Amino acid sequence: MDTLVTISVVSDSRDHAEKGIDAAFSEIETLEKLTNFFSPDSEISHINRNAGISEVKVSPETLELLDKALFISKKTEGAFDITIGPVITLYDFYKKIKPEDLELKKKVSFVNYKDLLIDRNKSTVFLKKSNMLIDPGGISKGYAADKAVETLKKLGIHAGLISVAGDIKAFGLRPDGRPWRIGIRNPRIPPNPPLVKGGGGGFLDDIMATIELKDMAISTSGDYERYFILNGRRYHHLLNPKTGYPAEGCQSVSIITKEGVFTDAFASGIFILGHERGLKVLEEMGFEGVIVDSTGKIHITPQIRGKVEFKKPV
Amino acid sequence: MNLKNLFEGTTKADRILFIVLIFLSFSGIVFMKEVLPEGKTVRIEVNGHPVYLLPVEKDRVVSVDGPEGETVIEIKNHKVRITKSPCYNKLCIHQGWIESGAIVCLPNRVVITIGNHKENPPIPPFDKGGDGGIFDIDAVTG
Repeated sequence: MDTLVTISVVSDSRDHAEKGIDAAFSEIETLEKLTNFFSPDSEISHINRNAGISEVKVSPETLELLDKALFISKKTEGAFDITIGPVITLYDFYKKIKPEDLELKKKVSFVNYKDLLIDRNKSTVFLKKSNMLIDPGGISKGYAADKAVETLKKLGIHAGLISVAGDIKAFGLRPDGRPWRIGIRNPRIPPNPPLVKGGGGGFLDDIMATIELKDMAISTSGDYERYFILNGRRYHHLLNPKTGYPAEGCQSVSIITKEGVFTDAFASGIFILGHERGLKVLEEMGFEGVIVDSTGKIHITPQIRGKVEFKKPV
Repeated sequence: MNLKNLFEGTTKADRILFIVLIFLSFSGIVFMKEVLPEGKTVRIEVNGHPVYLLPVEKDRVVSVDGPEGETVIEIKNHKVRITKSPCYNKLCIHQGWIESGAIVCLPNRVVITIGNHKENPPIPPFDKGGDGGIFDIDAVTG
């Protein structure tokens, strides 16, 4: 997943804890092998290579991931779209390369989650048009966090914290009996020194708020994660599937609910929808969220008031 | 003057009073040490940012990331030292244990001071250990 994963568990026995952590990492590695966009051997690459050609039989994990991706696409009116692959591959955020408008327009026509067909009975997946590409980057980390927690629970571990980059899942309580405390990064203060530990390192001046979580997941999508500035415009990785251009309505979106697969993908989708439509979707789904709009104003869902502690009053 | 001369001419009541006074002064010392906090803290700064403000009484090992890499700091028996540093000359490690004053690692921009730091760091960092301290955040999203 090209990212850092940290797993902390609470146990009376070091051996038990280590066995759990090993099993959770192994589960994440398995998912990585199945869903890696860049690995030619992954099931996702297999589906992509067969786009417009034939359906592909996949594992229950890949099927579940894609099934949930389609559900989220429907709920976000296509703002989250796992078939964003043809467009995202045109950008290079490290080399500061953006595609030509014409090229972008051409590739956007291949982005449409409705052309991703899943047959649950046969466990097969089919991309209707050739040139379509599934990129699970916006959902696979949260899904991996869910699966890692499932693995730990099966092994009798009742509390822990999984962080797959910024996608965090907290279960049970900390050893001191308190909920896990998570910081939400300020989208406009660059970390200094950089946040190098994948959700585990940094300083509070980079953090705009904290929230206590038990048996909940949280994910944040921000325009500061992978981006470059060209001619005064910020090109970041949260692309509008309908235009192929970076969405401009928000600086960051944090979503809180039970499942990491939802927090991860809804964070991207709601970032693209913007705060007004985004808050409506959150209300409909019964999720909590913190949205920083493009002007820096913070919007929160009503239920979260009092649970999230801001450094500055909101 | 030996002990016998000291007690010559004193009454039994004087001697009891003397013993009570000695007991009270010792118990005062014990009381001060056990009940009142020493208030000494270890302040660790990286690149001008306060990273940790930790009580010197609690033994622990913490690591911080400076521009050059990881610096590992050990607090033990009310003393502090650096045990690992990416700097080229390792002067900070050679300085060994300190009970007061400071250890400064210029290449990795780490400054450790022991003292009665009164400030609540304006920009407090967080403690990955999640030990319920003032810097208590377990992870960061975003």
